[in-house]
Amino acid sequence: MVRYGDLFLKALILTIVVFLLGVFLGYALERNRVNDIEEQFQIIDLNWDDARLQSLYYQNLEPRFCDSAIEENLDFADKAYQEGLKIEEYEQANFLTNDLELEKRKYALLKVEFWLNSIVLRNKCDADYINLVYFFKNKPDLETEAKQNTQSEILKELKEKYGKKLMLIPLPIDGDISMINIMETTYNISIVPTILINEKRKLEGLQSLDELDLLISYE
Amino acid sequence: MADFLTIVYLFFIFVSLYSIFLILLIFFRNKSELYSDYITENFRHLSVIIPAYNKEDSIKQTIEAVQNVDYPKDKIEIIVVDDGSRDRTVEIAKGIKGINLYVKGYNSGKSDTVNYGIKKAKGEIIAVIDADSCPEKDSFKKMMNYFDDPETGAVTATCYVRNTEKVIGKLQSIEYFLIAFGRKILDFVDSVYVTPGSLSMYRKKLLDEIGGFDTNNITEDIEIAWKILKNKYKNRMCLSARVSTDVPDTLRKWWKQRLRWNVGGFQTVHKYRNSFFRKSQKMFGLFVVPRFFISHVLSITGFFIFTYLIGKKLFEWGLNLFYSYQNGATLIEAPSLFLTPNVFTFFILVLFVFTLIFTYYGLKIMNKSPMGFKANATVLFYLLFYLTLYPLVLLHSLYVIITGDIKW
Repeated sequence: MVRYGDLFLKALILTIVVFLLGVFLGYALERNRVNDIEEQFQIIDLNWDDARLQSLYYQNLEPRFCDSAIEENLDFADKAYQEGLKIEEYEQANFLTNDLELEKRKYALLKVEFWLNSIVLRNKCDADYINLVYFFKNKPDLETEAKQNTQSEILKELKEKYGKKLMLIPLPIDGDISMINIMETTYNISIVPTILINEKRKLEGLQSLDELDLLISYE
Repeated sequence: MADFLTIVYLFFIFVSLYSIFLILLIFFRNKSELYSDYITENFRHLSVIIPAYNKEDSIKQTIEAVQNVDYPKDKIEIIVVDDGSRDRTVEIAKGIKGINLYVKGYNSGKSDTVNYGIKKAKGEIIAVIDADSCPEKDSFKKMMNYFDDPETGAVTATCYVRNTEKVIGKLQSIEYFLIAFGRKILDFVDSVYVTPGSLSMYRKKLLDEIGGFDTNNITEDIEIAWKILKNKYKNRMCLSARVSTDVPDTLRKWWKQRLRWNVGGFQTVHKYRNSFFRKSQKMFGLFVVPRFFISHVLSITGFFIFTYLIGKKLFEWGLNLFYSYQNGATLIEAPSLFLTPNVFTFFILVLFVFTLIFTYYGLKIMNKSPMGFKANATVLFYLLFYLTLYPLVLLHSLYVIITGDIKW
């Protein structure tokens, strides 16, 4: 090994350099994605503050502008939903860092806030949209994951069908967020997927498209 | 923090990067010496042993090719040992003049047959040639010079594929050239770990010392090479000496052959397990055995992880389909490929590029191929699909080892 020992050493050094370079690049990519989500979050957070204040204003001082408040609320819902999809995609590609976990929790909180605002708005403005809260788990077992995927697909179809009449609010129950834990206890959510329609009707387990369609149309 | 599987992946990548960088560094340092074989004036007495079992189709061709090799006639003897053939092998061999034919009358396997031939041989050097291989004219002279070095125990040659009509033959042709190229690179670090039966030469004195070929091992060509290394001799690779052979022409035969190679490999690793990282055994203990062992472990572990992930995805997809169908949802699409770049994208690209570099140089250097290497598609198919069969055979071999169902 003495004669060519240097080759083994050189190969090791080269490997370490390339390996570290790869890990560094991977880390930089992941950080970049987290930064992107953080930036988006800040924008959405700002939009949300704006929407919330408008909502307050319309509800309390200018009830005739309820439609605008509802519109703002829906716009915000769409943006938050899109951002949620982006987080999901990035999460699949992030192997080295867990920073997206924090972002996911922030979004979950934002959605809770949005839900509460939707309740108030619906009562104050006598709006006819339906709040559909979908409780799921971020880290389910295989079978539950398949059920959740199917449920998400069904809800997506319903959202397309009902458009602005349906406020779709997905909430993870395993995100260690005390506000969601309170909701979980309040509504006695023990299994996922569970769907809550207009804070009154609780549907446990996977719900079919026809069933949900029927229930929504009666609301 | 990265999860367990990510750490395992990264470890795999580290080892793979190290292997490919090491091979390329050795290659670039010794590039000019790949074909630096000279023809020796010291023509040692050579005994060519051709073990034959049911080789009626090729025995004549092999013997004639050996007779036509350019080597002083008074310095060469050809020994054909029949291993209890049930076809016309003996009859055909009897019709050829200038050979010593021994008919054992029973079938005892290749190792025993070669050992039988070694006992009869008078030469200082023993050449072993499969009964379906044909050495090129200048091959013996080129190989012989390596024995000028007293530390050389064995010399092997480049084996190329004759039957390249079918795709499977073409793929093996690429493989054989790359194997020869890789073996030559390992030669520069005294780590030639196999002396294939198609054509290899051995110092007879050494064979006598170490007791010849192991009759219990089904890959006698790996075992003997390891035994030679363990005894502190060198195995050398003569790239310019060439021998042609027929390779399996159906997937079934190919599988069976690879199964034998792998099972024999496992047997050999097990036999020499005590040499693992044994400093006193130099390259054999520090590189050959660990490299062989680690590559097998990684290959099998990698296969299990891959199977687990694919199986999990398929199961998940099946469940999705089931629930979607049952609940009236649009059928969920097949698991999508996540094309968002990540830490592995870079490594996969690096590994692929360096594997391409190795393949490119390997095929360029071996360009005397009868197949012609403009068939880039075949090369790509070889890299992307053919190589992925390796772990499957390895797994089957492991099963054979565990169940003890070893018979050839």
